[in-house]
Amino acid sequence: MHGVRLIPRNLVGSFVERRAGQIQDPIARLRYLQSNLGSITGRPVLHPAKSWGVKRFGMLGAALLLGFSLIPRYQASSGIKAPVVPQPVGHAAVTAPAEVVPDTIANVWLVDQTPDFETYSNGLRIDDRYVKPNEKRISYAVYQRGAIEAGQSDFARQPEFRSEPAGIVYHTTESDQARFTPDQNSRLKRIGKAVIEVVQQNRSYHFLIDRFGQVFRIVPETDVANHAGYSVWADGKIVYVNLNSSFLGIAFETQTQLGDIPSANPAQVHAARILTEMLRAKYHFPQSNCVTHAQVSVNPGNMLVGYHTDWAGNFPFHDIGLSDNYTVPPPSIYAFGFGYDPTFVHATGVRLWQGLALAEDQITTQAASRGIPVSRYRAILQKQYKEVLAALKAAATASDNRHET
Amino acid sequence: MRHNDKVNNSAVGLDVGTSRICLAQRVGEEFQYETQLNAFVAIPFSKMTESVLKKEKVPHTVTGPDIVVHGNESDRFADVLNVETRRTMDKGVLNPAEPESLAMLRKIVESLVDPVKDRQKLCFTVPAAPLGAEDNLTYHEATLRRTLSDLGYEVKSINEGLAVIYSELESSNYTGIGISCGGGLCNVCVAYLSVPVFSFSIPKAGDYIDTSAAAVTGERANRVRIVKEDSFHFNGFFADKLQQVLGVYYDEMIQSLVQGMKQAFASSRNLPKSNRPLPIVLSGGTALPQGFRDRFEKALAETDLPIAADDIRVAADPLHASAKGALVAALADA
Repeated sequence: MHGVRLIPRNLVGSFVERRAGQIQDPIARLRYLQSNLGSITGRPVLHPAKSWGVKRFGMLGAALLLGFSLIPRYQASSGIKAPVVPQPVGHAAVTAPAEVVPDTIANVWLVDQTPDFETYSNGLRIDDRYVKPNEKRISYAVYQRGAIEAGQSDFARQPEFRSEPAGIVYHTTESDQARFTPDQNSRLKRIGKAVIEVVQQNRSYHFLIDRFGQVFRIVPETDVANHAGYSVWADGKIVYVNLNSSFLGIAFETQTQLGDIPSANPAQVHAARILTEMLRAKYHFPQSNCVTHAQVSVNPGNMLVGYHTDWAGNFPFHDIGLSDNYTVPPPSIYAFGFGYDPTFVHATGVRLWQGLALAEDQITTQAASRGIPVSRYRAILQKQYKEVLAALKAAATASDNRHET
Repeated sequence: MRHNDKVNNSAVGLDVGTSRICLAQRVGEEFQYETQLNAFVAIPFSKMTESVLKKEKVPHTVTGPDIVVHGNESDRFADVLNVETRRTMDKGVLNPAEPESLAMLRKIVESLVDPVKDRQKLCFTVPAAPLGAEDNLTYHEATLRRTLSDLGYEVKSINEGLAVIYSELESSNYTGIGISCGGGLCNVCVAYLSVPVFSFSIPKAGDYIDTSAAAVTGERANRVRIVKEDSFHFNGFFADKLQQVLGVYYDEMIQSLVQGMKQAFASSRNLPKSNRPLPIVLSGGTALPQGFRDRFEKALAETDLPIAADDIRVAADPLHASAKGALVAALADA
């Protein structure tokens, strides 16, 4: 079973409901409810062409909702849990949850620092005893999203360069799991130690959260970690390709669980929350750049997304203080024409399915606006990706040569 | 799809069920339906048989040594030949054990839905993921989407339970619980102001009753289905063993449905916090027997559901409710 959590009944919802009840024609009533759900849920609706009147009504609704969010008894204070897509399309629409969390950045600061530990004002304690330096993050290439979406043929040769990390990719270690009970303490610790050694040796992530919720720094944030390989993500302005350099990797010591079974225990979720808070405070990452490995992983060999499927379906975005990014269309699909197969969809939850469906819709719309078939448009996008990849490889080779000389 | 000058050509609804496929379209203010059995039967090829089928306008396809009769007529042929019909779908999705499933499903769909050139909206039903199991509907949905897109439609899908809500719960502003008791699955959806809150399916439905009753009585499942649809009802005593057996398995199915709802509601954090009871609508061929609603209501009353429900009723037109809901969704989107 999958689901969404509805916001409590509120005045705006009641108003829409009452007004809907006055519409005689069932089709018009359904259309009205669907096009005004933004005012009930506080979320924009994905419904075509609203009239100005409807838009204005939606704005009024949003304003009212904001007002009500300040009233203590209104239970949306921890984020409005609202159905997001009223469109009756497929299971994505049927079960899409929306976890809207205000994109604010907490004030978190370093309190104490020793050679072995760092302590932060939000209770975060980072164990630095296992840090292994890796290649320095000197700069990495990014691409303007507008250039890609406009299909500018030479955009691949026009990257911009950044040096600060841009976001977080969450992983699972997929390592052996002992039962999480007191009698398994020694086994849990032994496995945890082994995991640290492996990820340290491979410089796999920047941070590791073990089964007890302890946070270990593995690779310094100033360095690149080998966590995301072939991967794609985009925020409002920028497209990131191969995120090892641009994103920080946080791994949970756990194995992926399918369905609604949580893959992380409460201690790990808490640790991830305060670690995310600290990193967002330090680097000002937008929520939209805090994503899971499954969302960003791609396979250029077969041009399919989801080469890795860790956190494909049940990442606790809300519990970590983030909006549900599963519902965001993966840029690998709409910007670079990647596809997906049933194996990936099987590994995902329906929340990510919604993002996939939206990305497909986006491709269809973009193809239509260019007056070309979807297959041809997808081929153009894939060519675009290959150009980017080639440019990145050329840049890496040039960089290597510079270092060697 | 039969063309009609008065048909509202802006949208079409299609209920793709395990046992039947139903097309809905609007003619003026009325909804019009056309249904085909989602089954087929292969009979040995002979020129004479083929010419008779052509003459009688029985939908069929010649495939090598066989003539495959599909749709409504397959039932009659299976009965005459004393064989089971073959099914393109099982438990709500394409039948993985049937090599001809896709080809035959296309044929049956094409016998209902005419190709169009103007990207008319078409909304078709899909099941929800089974309770407690992973969603494995991708292939099924993608295949149908492709088949229907190839016919020239702008295609969308809708959860079957939600379609029931769109068909029947206009009076509550599309808030309530829609239950479609079909052949392969019972689909349940809870919606609030037209927004699906959650949905699930359980795999005990009409086919389960048929095969279980067939196993006990030694009848063919197809025969059991015909008897069930023609004459079974809940209230009263049965001298006929098949009717008795059907009653037993019907009760078991209803219990599974109610227990499934209890489990789903109890484990959901997503129930709407409504201050009034939710109406429930039952639909689908398996909800047709007289007394079904009462049995369901009794089972529900004996179960402590974490959500208040009332106004339990059978859809005005149970066999067509899902198709109508799909059409309503398509029209709302047109």
